[in-house]
Amino acid sequence: MTSFVTATLIGVSLGAQYALLALGFTLIFGILGVVNFAHGGFYVLGGYAAYWFVSAAGLPYPLAVVLATLVTGILGYLFELLLIERLVDDHLATLMLTLGLYLMLSTGILITFGPESPLFEFPLNGTLRAGPFYFPIANLVVLAVCLLAILGVYALIFRTDLGRALRALADDRQVAAAQGLRPRLLFPLAFALACGLAGMTGALVTPILSLAPHVGDPVLATSFLIVILGGLGSIGGATVAAFLVGLVEAYSSVYLGGSKGALALFVLVLIILVVRPSGLFGRIAREA
Amino acid sequence: MSLLRRHAGEIATILVVAASLLIPRFTDDPLPISLANQILIAITAAFSVYLMLRMNLLTFAVPAFMAIGGYAAAIAGLQGGVTDAIALTALSFVAPAIVALPIGVLVLRLRGVYFVLVTFVLSEIVQLVLFETPQLTGGSNGLVGMPSTTAFGIELADNASVLVLTAAVALAAALVTALVTSLCRQHFAAIEENEPLAQSLGLVVWHYKVLGFVVAAGLAGMAGFSLVNMLLTAHPTSFGPGSSVNYIAYTIVGGRTSILGPVLGSALLVTLTNLFSNQGQYSQGLYGLLIVVVVLVARGGIVGTAMALVRRVGGLRPATAHLATGTAAPRGT
Repeated sequence: MTSFVTATLIGVSLGAQYALLALGFTLIFGILGVVNFAHGGFYVLGGYAAYWFVSAAGLPYPLAVVLATLVTGILGYLFELLLIERLVDDHLATLMLTLGLYLMLSTGILITFGPESPLFEFPLNGTLRAGPFYFPIANLVVLAVCLLAILGVYALIFRTDLGRALRALADDRQVAAAQGLRPRLLFPLAFALACGLAGMTGALVTPILSLAPHVGDPVLATSFLIVILGGLGSIGGATVAAFLVGLVEAYSSVYLGGSKGALALFVLVLIILVVRPSGLFGRIAREA
Repeated sequence: MSLLRRHAGEIATILVVAASLLIPRFTDDPLPISLANQILIAITAAFSVYLMLRMNLLTFAVPAFMAIGGYAAAIAGLQGGVTDAIALTALSFVAPAIVALPIGVLVLRLRGVYFVLVTFVLSEIVQLVLFETPQLTGGSNGLVGMPSTTAFGIELADNASVLVLTAAVALAAALVTALVTSLCRQHFAAIEENEPLAQSLGLVVWHYKVLGFVVAAGLAGMAGFSLVNMLLTAHPTSFGPGSSVNYIAYTIVGGRTSILGPVLGSALLVTLTNLFSNQGQYSQGLYGLLIVVVVLVARGGIVGTAMALVRRVGGLRPATAHLATGTAAPRGT
């Protein structure tokens, strides 16, 4: 029972992190039609940026997280504006562009910070005890921040004019443009939002999990998994699928061990891609 | 003459790869032999990416099929006692091709991005399966102790003969690639240029896509066999999902419009990686930079750019030039 509750908590925390990552990924695909292979790279960059702001600039950790979010967001903005924008309608070309950027980004981090994991610890430690259950405070704080951020993204997408504009562009770019929305202005913003989310997740999560130049690879694979499960481009689908994947990972690592859980998820995803490409929950949000 | 010109890339590729069979006659220095081995394996694997790109499909599944081919050969050697090089090469082609057939039939009705994602997921699955099936694949220990490969009863154990085998496998892969891309040249080009139009004109598009996918899987499997044979071990780390990026880089940077592209790209990038051997981990950044440059300014890669230059200088007739280089023009949705 204790292990079940602990695994559930871990699963929900993982799910919240994954949701933030997958929301960014699915936004970019839904709005721009771009598969962002650099998504994991922005996650790692966010982690290292926060680490740098804390260790080299001596800033408090919460401020470092905010700055890391801004840095990755701005980089994402520039990347879209200067490179992706030129080829935005060519799926294969943008895919290769983001892939190239990812390779350059992770090599840049490797050169700057070296291959070793830096010592980057969450400022709060200690555990909360409730009967037989122990909850690390750091995990709870991160979970709370992630949940708030997810709510924030939802509010932005579904309650603001910017969000309405972005959804309109995702639904039908030509009609949206005819109504006076400007893709050239909004695409970089969407990309910045998504990359900022990835960077924020990295800044929040890497002190608890681990920080190293290569931790972006599994992040990218997990984002793929979730976004496919939820239906490419679907925001609600991605959120539900993220928690599903988080829980499956947590339970399978407690009760099955090894990578059987991951294997089962990947096979499920392959089957879904083949028989139901719109994902578990819904409609095709965007023709691929 | 026009036939010769149209197939100039294929002929040059076959000659270059065949010439590598002679390398052991000139040197027995292990360094160049090892480099040649790596380049030839990279070329074999890059043919797989090239073949799919002819249909405007990007594949991340090369390591997956390399693993299937390599492990099939290793298991046949260990458990079946098969050592004949020709049988093992054939097995390493057929095994992944058989696996690819049902996947291709199901997946290739989807387009573009979905196909890319499926191949990405496939590489992850094969990697996990290798770790989770220790009885068959040795799990995280991999497989070692395969009997030496033989050709016509002669044991191929030393460095030089391993290279000859790798070169022969690469030559076979080049012949298969040249054959398929020549026979289906117009069909593949039609799919690449305008798939709905090709379909509306009566081309059963997914037949050709499945054919290409199955052959590409087989080519990757042959590369896997060469790799296992060179390393004397079949190990999951040789087939990491991340390595798919390398084969894509070789092909894109060399040029996706001609079969010479993967050959030149592999030779150049593998040599460069070996040059900064103690900073090998930085080579990925270089690949990334080159991919970005190619996508933004030189769509045809090295070969495409060179051909465009030659065309500008020599002033070939436009129609012939178009056939010779394929198309490198960016296309809309």
